[in-house]
Amino acid sequence: MSNDPNKVWPTGLTLSEAEEVHSYLIDGTRVFGVIALIAHILVAVSTPWLG
Amino acid sequence: MINIKNFAVRKISAFGMKYLPFADAASEAVPLSRLLRLSLFQVTVGMALVLMVGTLNRVMIVELNVPATLVGAMLALPLVFAPFRALIGFKSDNFKSALGLRRLPYIYKGTMLQFGGFAIMPFALLVLSGYGKAAQAPHWIGEVGAAIAFLLVGAGVHMVQTVGLALATDLVEEEDQPKVVGLMYVSLLAGMIVSAFTYGAALQTYSPLRLIQVIQGSAVLTVVLNGLAMWKQEARDRVRGNAIRTAEPSFAQAWARLSERPGLMRLLAIIAFGTAGFGMADVLMEPFGGQVLQMSVAETTRLTVYLAFGTLVGFTMASRWMARGARPIDVAIYGALIGVPAFGLIILSAHLLSIAVLIVATLAAGFGAGLFGHGTLTTTMRTAPRDQIGLSLGAWGAVQTTSAGASIAVGGFLRDRLQSGSAGVHSAGAYIPVFCLEIGLLMLALLLAFPIFGRAGRPYDAQKTAQDGFAKGNAG
Repeated sequence: MSNDPNKVWPTGLTLSEAEEVHSYLIDGTRVFGVIALIAHILVAVSTPWLG
Repeated sequence: MINIKNFAVRKISAFGMKYLPFADAASEAVPLSRLLRLSLFQVTVGMALVLMVGTLNRVMIVELNVPATLVGAMLALPLVFAPFRALIGFKSDNFKSALGLRRLPYIYKGTMLQFGGFAIMPFALLVLSGYGKAAQAPHWIGEVGAAIAFLLVGAGVHMVQTVGLALATDLVEEEDQPKVVGLMYVSLLAGMIVSAFTYGAALQTYSPLRLIQVIQGSAVLTVVLNGLAMWKQEARDRVRGNAIRTAEPSFAQAWARLSERPGLMRLLAIIAFGTAGFGMADVLMEPFGGQVLQMSVAETTRLTVYLAFGTLVGFTMASRWMARGARPIDVAIYGALIGVPAFGLIILSAHLLSIAVLIVATLAAGFGAGLFGHGTLTTTMRTAPRDQIGLSLGAWGAVQTTSAGASIAVGGFLRDRLQSGSAGVHSAGAYIPVFCLEIGLLMLALLLAFPIFGRAGRPYDAQKTAQDGFAKGNAG
C-alpha cells in the first residue's frame, strides 16, 4: 500500500485525492465568504456602524 | 532520507485512519451505536423544521409584526426545492470522487447551506421587520435576505436528509433496514420535540439579541451534530475512485430506468395520498380540540403530545413486525387502514362532545401515521436498486415532503378560514369536511395499495433478490 508510486508525500494521498480534499476546503471558504458578506450587508442595513 | 519518508508516510496514514472522517472499510455489521450516531442528522433536520414552521412562524407574526401572507410565502419557499431531492440523490449516486466518496460530500455541502442560512436568518428577519435603521432602507433588502436565508436552510435540509438516508441504506443489510428507518424517524421526532420545548423556553422573553442567539446557536449545533453524524460513516473506496469513468447517465435516463420498475409509480402515489391524509391532522388537531370541544390550551397541547406518542408507538411496532418478517408495504397499508376509522372517530367525537373519544382517536391517528411512514420508507429502501439508492430515496423525499408540506399548507389555510366562525358544536360543521377529506385521501391510498396487499408473489422481494443475485454474480 505504501509503495504506490501515485501517492505523494507527506499525506499518502494520491494527487487527485489531495486535489479533491482541497476542493472541499475551497468550496467551504467560498460559501462562508459569501454568507459573511450577506450577513454584514444585512446588519449594516439595520444598525449601520460606518456612520 | 528514503527511510524517514517511508516512516512518515506510514505514521501519517496510520494517524489518518484514526482521525480522518472516513470509515476504514465497509464493515460487515454496522453496530447500533454507529447508526445511532448517524441518525443525529435527523435531529438537525427536525430542529430546522420546528424552527421554521413552528417557532419563527409565530415570532415573525407576533413579535416582528411581519404580514402573515409574507410569512406564509417565506415558509413555503423551502418546499420549492423538494422536487430537487430526486436530482440530489441522483447526483450523489453518480458523484465523481477520487476518494470514492458519494454521500459524504453532499452531507457536507448540505450542512454548509443549512449553517449559512441560519447564520444570516436573524439579521434578515430583523431587517424584514424594519428593526433599527432598516425601516428607512428599501423593502426588498429584507425580503430578499429572508428569502435567501429560508432557501438556504431548506436546500440544506433536503440535501442532508436525502443523502443521509441514502448513506444509511448503503450501510446496512436488508434485514436491518426496518431498524434503521425506525431509528431515523424516532430521531427526527425526538429532535422536533426537544427543540420545540427548547425554542419555546429560550424565546419566552423575546428580544432581538435573543433571536440572534437562538438562531445562530442552532446554526452551530447543526454543524456539530451533522459533523458527529457523518464522522467515519462512509468508507473510502479506491476501486470506485480509480474506476475509469464511463459516461454519466443523464438524470432523465436514470429516472426512466427507475420508474420502469414495476410498482414504483404506484408506491409513490400511495405515499403522496397517504402522507397528505395524515399530514393535515398535524395542524388541525389543536384548533379542533380548542374550538369544538372547548379544551384549554394545555389540553390541546397535550393532544399534540398524544399524536406524537402514537406515532412513536407506530414506529416501534412497525420495526418489530418487520423484524419478524412482515412486509413493509403491508405494514403501511395497515397504517392507512387504522387512519380511516381514527379520523372517523374524530368526527364522532365532535358529535358526542367527548374528549376521551378524541384522545383515543388522536392516539390511533398517530399510530397509523407511524406505521404508514415507516412502512413506505422501508419499502422504498427495499425496492431501491443498489446503484440508484440516492435517486430512489430522493424520489421518496420529493413526494413525501411536497405532499406533507402541501397538506399542512391546505390544513392551515382551512383552519384560518374556519377559526373566524363561532365556537362550540356549530363550529364542528366547518372541520368535518376537512377530516372527511383526510379519510378520502387515505381511502385513495388504500385503493391504490389494495392490488399489492399481502400478495403471495411478493413482487418487491423477489425482484430484489434476483437483482442482488445478479449483482453478486457480476462481482464474483
